Formats: sequence, C-alpha cells, structure tokens
Amino acid sequence: MRPLRLTVNGDTLETAAPAHWTLLEVLRYRLGLTGSKQGCDKGDCGACTVLVDGRPQLACLTLAALAEGHAITTIEGLMPLHVAAGGDGPDPVQGAFDRCGALQCGFCQPGMMLSARALLNRNPCPTRGEIREALSGNLCRCTGYTQIFEAVELAVAESLGVAPAPRAWEEQRMKPAEAQEQARRAAAALAAARERNDGGPGARS
Amino acid sequence: MKLEPRAVPLQDAPPKRKVKTTQVVNGIETEVEIEVEDVPAGQWPPRASLRVLNHDIPRVDGPVKVSGAARYTHDVRVPGMVWARLLLSPLPRARVAALDLEAARAVPGVVHVLVVEREETGWLGQPVAVVAAETLEAAGDGLRALAARFEPLPWVVDHAAAVREGAPAVGRGANVGRPETDGDEARARAALSASATRVRATYTVPVQHHASLETHGVVVDYRGGEDAVVYCSTQYAQGFAAEAAKELGLKAGNVRGVVEHMGGGFGSKFGLDAQGLYACRIAKELKRPVHLMLDRRAEFLMSGNRSGTSMTIEAGCDAQGSLTGLVAEAWKHGGLGRGSLSGLPYCYKAGAHFRDVRSVRMHLDASRAMRAPGHPQASFGMESILDELAYAAGLDLVEIRRRNAAHPAWVRQLDRVAREIGWDQHPHRTQPGKPDREECIGIGFGISNWGSGGSSDCEAEVRIEKDGSVVVACAAQDLGTGTRMYMAAIAAEEFGLPVAAVTARLGDSRLPTGVASGGSVTTPSVAPAVKDACTRARGAFAAHLAQVLGRSAEGFRFGPDGVRHDGMTERLAWSKACGTLPAEGLSARGKWQESLQTRGVRCTQAAQVAVDPGTGRVRVLHMVCLQEVGLALNRLAVKSQIQGGMIQALGYALGEGRQLDSALGLQLNASFEEYKIPHALEIPRMTTLIDDDDTRNGVAGVGEPPAIPGASAIANAVHNACGARVRELPITPDKVLLALGKVV
Ligand code: FES
Ligand code: FES
Repeated sequence: MRPLRLTVNGDTLETAAPAHWTLLEVLRYRLGLTGSKQGCDKGDCGACTVLVDGRPQLACLTLAALAEGHAITTIEGLMPLHVAAGGDGPDPVQGAFDRCGALQCGFCQPGMMLSARALLNRNPCPTRGEIREALSGNLCRCTGYTQIFEAVELAVAESLGVAPAPRAWEEQRMKPAEAQEQARRAAAALAAARERNDGGPGARS
Repeated sequence: MKLEPRAVPLQDAPPKRKVKTTQVVNGIETEVEIEVEDVPAGQWPPRASLRVLNHDIPRVDGPVKVSGAARYTHDVRVPGMVWARLLLSPLPRARVAALDLEAARAVPGVVHVLVVEREETGWLGQPVAVVAAETLEAAGDGLRALAARFEPLPWVVDHAAAVREGAPAVGRGANVGRPETDGDEARARAALSASATRVRATYTVPVQHHASLETHGVVVDYRGGEDAVVYCSTQYAQGFAAEAAKELGLKAGNVRGVVEHMGGGFGSKFGLDAQGLYACRIAKELKRPVHLMLDRRAEFLMSGNRSGTSMTIEAGCDAQGSLTGLVAEAWKHGGLGRGSLSGLPYCYKAGAHFRDVRSVRMHLDASRAMRAPGHPQASFGMESILDELAYAAGLDLVEIRRRNAAHPAWVRQLDRVAREIGWDQHPHRTQPGKPDREECIGIGFGISNWGSGGSSDCEAEVRIEKDGSVVVACAAQDLGTGTRMYMAAIAAEEFGLPVAAVTARLGDSRLPTGVASGGSVTTPSVAPAVKDACTRARGAFAAHLAQVLGRSAEGFRFGPDGVRHDGMTERLAWSKACGTLPAEGLSARGKWQESLQTRGVRCTQAAQVAVDPGTGRVRVLHMVCLQEVGLALNRLAVKSQIQGGMIQALGYALGEGRQLDSALGLQLNASFEEYKIPHALEIPRMTTLIDDDDTRNGVAGVGEPPAIPGASAIANAVHNACGARVRELPITPDKVLLALGKVV
C-alpha cells in the first residue's frame, strides 16, 4: 500500500493503494468515481480518458502515484469546474453532446467529451480535421461518430457566438440554399476566429 | 365529489385471431403464427399533426449520461461485495492437467474458488475456473496461484482442418452439419445454362466481433435470505432475472433484474451467460454480493460473434439483365454454434434458385445473434455476384439492381441514393476503372431488408399523478437507442405535455412485461404498448373529468394549451385537471397492438471510395443511406442508429475479422489494438436519409437494416474504382495489391 494524495476535480483526496495501481483503478476502485470507464485497460479504447493539467491522458496507463501533484479532471468534475469558473450549467461540450444526440449507449462518452474538452482548451476553434484527430483515440461502437463531430462543432460555434453549420441530421428540414448559406457564414466566422487566435492564447486557460 | 376507482383493467379475455409474422427471438428471425387480441385497432395520429414525435428530440437520459452519473453494471458497488475473475482455456481443446486449488485458496483475500471444468476443454476461451476475492487484485492473484496446466488435444479452428477426413470431432456428431437446402436444383441449373451471361465466384467473410464498449458481466446482490437484485449488462432484463432466480434457488418474483444503462450489446447480450451463472453460484455459496465483469480479452474469446461464411455463387441473367438463375453453396463458420446466413438470392428475385447451406463446426465459441444475423454475409455474396454479372454483361450497376430488386421500395431508393452519390456523373458505370492514377474513385451499391415487428406480449403502464406528473413504465431496457426518450415522448404527444413532464421507467424486471431487445424488436414492441396505455389513460381521465365536471367524456381534448371540452369555452390547465384526481392518481395498462407497428424495413446504401493502387489503401469518402422507418418516433435518434450501423459495416468491410493461428490455437487479435473497429479518422461524409415516401403509419425497428449493405457497397466500390475484385473481407491493402496483381 502506498498513501496517495490526489487533486481530483478541485478536491484534494487522500487514499492508499498498491504502488502499481493505475489512476483508473484508484478512481474506480478507491474513490468511487466510476464515470471514467474501463473499456480495455490497456490503452486501446480511450474510455478512461481524463484530463491531467488540462491535457488528455489515458488513466489506465497512468500510474496513480505519478498523478500526484497534478490537477486531475474526470467527467464528474466537468460541470462543477465549469460552474466554479463562472460558467452556467454543464460544460458547453456536455450540453452540445446532449443536444446533438452524440451518444447512444454512452459508455464511450466520458472519455470522448474529455478529449474534446482538452482539444478546445488548446485550440478554441478547431477544424473538422483537427476534431477527428483529437478524438481518434476514443472508440465508439454505437454512433458512427458524425453526431459527435457535430456536437464539438456546435460547442465551438456557440463559444464564438455564431450560428453553427447545419448538422447533417437537420438538412432534410432546411432548404438547400438556406443550409448552404448558414454553412458558409459559420465557416467564415470560424475562419475569422482562427485568424484572430493564431498564435494567441487558448480560450480557456 | 365522488370518484370511481381509477385503474382501467385490461378487458377480460378479448377475442383472439391468428396472424403470421416474423418474430425475432434473441436476435434471430423466425417465421411464426401468433395470436393477437381482436381489439379495435389503435392508430397513431396523422404525421402532419404530430407535435413531438417524428421530430428531433434530445434524449431524456442525455444529461445523466453526459455528466458521468449514468450507472452501468460495471459501476455498481454494493456493500460486502466480492470481485470475481475467470480463468479461460488458453487452447481450443485441452486436458486440464493441473489446477492448484489449495494454493489459490491460500492467497490472502481469496474467498472462493469455483472449478467449472475439471477434465477437458472444448473451445478456445472456455471458462475453467472462477476465483472470488475481497479485491479484484486478489482475485487475479488467485487465478495465477492456480498455476493451471493444459495439455493440448487435437483441435480444429479453420474450415479446411474441420472438413478433412479424420479431423478431430467437435462435440458430438459430424463437424459438417446437414445441408439446409431451398429451391429446385434442376430448374436453377437449367436456367443457368440457358442464361445469356453467367458468372461464378467464391466469397468469404470472417467472424466479426460485437465489440461493445462495455464488456459482459453482472453484479449479483444476494446476501442470504429470500430476495436478490441482479444487475446485468444485458438486452433482456426480465429474461436474466428469471435465470438468476433459478440459479440462486429463489422464487422468480423475489429476484429483481436491473439494467439502468448498458454499454452496447448488438445481439451478444441476452441471457445471464456463463459468467452470470457462476456469479450466482458464488453469491449463493457465500451469501455475499458478487461483481463479475469480463475483461476485454475474455469479451473477444467467449461472448459470441457474427459467424463467418464461405459461399460459392453462380448466377446468370438474360440479355436485359434479369436474373434467370442462381445456385449457391455455402458453409457457415459459427464455432460450436450453427452460424447464420440469410437466404440467397438476398433481396433480389431470380427466375429459379437453389441453395445448399451447411455449418462447419470448430473448437471456438458459438456465434450469437449480431445485428441482422445472417444478412451482411448474404448481402456480400449477392451484391458482389450481381456486380460481377453486370460487368460481364456490360450493364449499368444501378440498372441491374432496379431490374431485379424484390420490392418496388428499393427501386425508388436506388434512384435517390444514386443521385445523392453522384452516379450520373461517375465515369465507371458499366466497367470498372483502371489502376492508373494515385487516387482511383469508385462507387458501389447495396440493398437490405429486415422483418422487424414487435412482441405481442409487451405491456406498458401509464400513471398520471395528482400533481400533474406522468410516469410511463415498461420492463424493456434502453440499449442507448433512445427507448426512454420515445416512451416519454409518446405520452407527451398524447397528453399535450412537454417531454420533460414525463418520466420513463424501464430496465427493471418488476415493471410490466417488456421484450428482449434484439433484432430491432424493442421499438415495435414497446411503442405500441405505451401508446395503447396512453390511449386508455386518456379515456379514463376523460371519464373521470366527465364525472367531475358533468360533461360528456367524448368531448375532452388534451393539448399543449390544456384540457378543453367541445361544449365549454374555458380551458382547464393540465395541473388543475390532474388536481381533481384522487390521491393515488390514475393508472392504465396497455398492450402491444399490431395496428400500431409495421413490419419490413428496406434500406439502400451507396459508398464512394478512393483506392491508392500503389499502396492498396482504401479510404471511404462518402456513404449514403436511405431507409424506410415507418413512423419515425425521434428522427435524431433514428439517424444516429443508422449511422452507427453504417460504420459497423465499414469496419466489416475494411478492418474487422477474427484472426487465428490454427497451429498454436490462439486468437491473434483479441484486443482493440489488433482487432480494429473504425475510429474518428476513418469516418466518411455521411448522408443519412429517412425514406419519407414510406407512409406506413406504424413504428418499426430501425437498427438492423443499416448495418447490412454498407460492406457490400464498399467492396463493390473498391472494384469499381480500380478493378481490384477482393472476394474476401476485410479488404486490407495486401488483398487489394494481390487482386491488382502487384504482389504474388
Ligand atoms: S480503458 Fe484505458 S484506453 Fe481503454
Ligand atoms: S455511444 Fe456506445 S460506444 Fe459510443
């Protein structure tokens, strides 16, 4: 047994676990934080993704002892931290995933959303390609991913205050010309924002 | 104010009538005759008048899922729980030579060692022993302390070895099953001989894994006494609760099965399964709760799969492209199971056909239902031979499909899908392209069908509380497809309420009879029962209000603006109206009704790919799907389901497939590292269209059809792009290069 002092979701937690335990094991089997999922336990699926100092990390491949002294964010902490930072309600990523139907069984979602949050921390207006890249370590067997990409794009558009490009699932209800126009405007707003942000600091520190 | 009892009982023994239907049992389609009650047929409102349904509705369990609060079986923790782990047979067939039970029992923390196979194992991954301990870690130490030794016995894990003379027997009986035949062989062969063009080829599909993100497993909460609660990652809450009761030796009514949320099943999670039975046995023995989840390797080895197939098909057509004859000879590879393969010709009609299908058994775990069992295999054979025939006869690939499709819905779908994928501008419509550039673009098509249809046993209950809240309940489970959401939405539509005013309860064996969620039966089972319960509750509420207000029951209307009566000018707010109910509120039970569902869902897909003939790499650029869905309850969720199916097919086409080493008796890819399911970088542009020309006003299950034709369409597109005909899935770069003659 090794005593552990971990900062999880803003709280300092003291516990003890065998020295070889991973952060995922400590979260799930010591601290009762079961939001981080155990999909493979060997770094293949991304279901256990957490943020360590704002960066995505696979908890199943991280020794708990090495996480001491770092700020760990799990899915349970996403909304409280957003509120503590002055936000209102869930993290915009969570809200967007909910509204875009970017989940089915939901087992992949905690890891997926934390990967998305980490991306937006370092790049507040990513392209579709950058979103795919950032989420490529998170497997989902249910959704087909498209609504997940759209959810991240919705979170981005809303943070910039522009109307998002129409989601694929909405197109049937829109006139093609309208949809094209909205997509064009969203793209222009994003391009402008990217220009502004070029080399600048991330939207969230 | 005098109030009558509120519960509206089901009518006593209403007259019954028989109907023929396809029923899906544990995900497998079967033709049956069922009895249905001859009650006045319920109807959904006309589509144009729907306020909630047939729109994009965010799911009611979205918030609990995105916040990480949703509890899956893996996450269940109960006081006094022990953790169990399995020891699996590392070989397809072996003698269990040594198991040191004493050493395992001596490991600190180990509380129980259960041996489930002492003599001989008969399939790769077969459970041999279970160790339960105070911690997961100690259970693992216990497994190692067993120091199990296995002596190999002769096995067969591939087709050639299994059919060889003198091959080691797989269980009792011959390794090759009896032929299942269909059609008239003489007529079919005569038609082939007389055909203007004929082709013959052999197609092979591998074993595909379900690869649900949450593995199989249970938590059995039994602490002695008469009652138990069992949590299970399953597609059938009531089924496994009954099995657990039997194993625990308890009365069926005393065991509650709970599936709050589950992380995917796709047909692999119906019963309690071996691990569930063992967990019950240990819980019974120890009188302590047991947590037993499979790890990822066990999930690959012992939790079922889609059977592989090898099929030789010969088909012929006349000068116009009409199929005159088709003869198919096929072998199913379902391990210890029989495997499944849908009928050939699949979704097309041929003048005459004959097929001979046999299963070849091996020392591997039995295949299970997997999303449209048997269909993707048959589709790959059928769509491939159709393309080969079209090219041989110089016909347009869409035209040959339009001409031979077995239902007119596919003709209209093919036209639309061809338009969306850009078929008219595509240069290779009757001949494949050549491997003469870095990026060769090709297009392929496929069609599919699924019977769907609900279970006539399904029931639901609706309660309207005095405070105006509404609860809808059914024991069926939500696999993530949105069952909770549409249960709430149906009630919201019926009573003119916002969806948020309704609570949906499910995934609990104590609720009204649900259904096993496999084969797209959940929606056509649950939605009609909920709708029927709502209709009855509305009738009972109207009768109650009639009494209170001294009006005729027929005149009441429930809408977003409250409760109105034809003979009254003023409106009654919903909450006021509910306030007149007695303390216990009002409840009504409803039953499945045939008139509220529909059967037979057809789907058409196209895929556009880019093939690099230098490397053999295939990238899917665009997939189009147009699918019938009957009445869509939630368009957003339907599209998500369709896309999920399309991407599973993309995996089947390009990456998935169990790899075994026959000599060593190992699975080489029993992990997500080597068994590659599609990830975010491989997702093409997806055009997902609901076929609104399907005006049937009944609900249908939508999950199976989209998972079927995509792999066939992609395979055909690869050939169409550059002339590489790969007849064996998955289409990996080496096979493309081989087909192009670039490697030998
Ligand atoms: S559980 Fe960590 S990557 Fe799968
Ligand atoms: S929603 Fe089920 S794995 Fe992603």
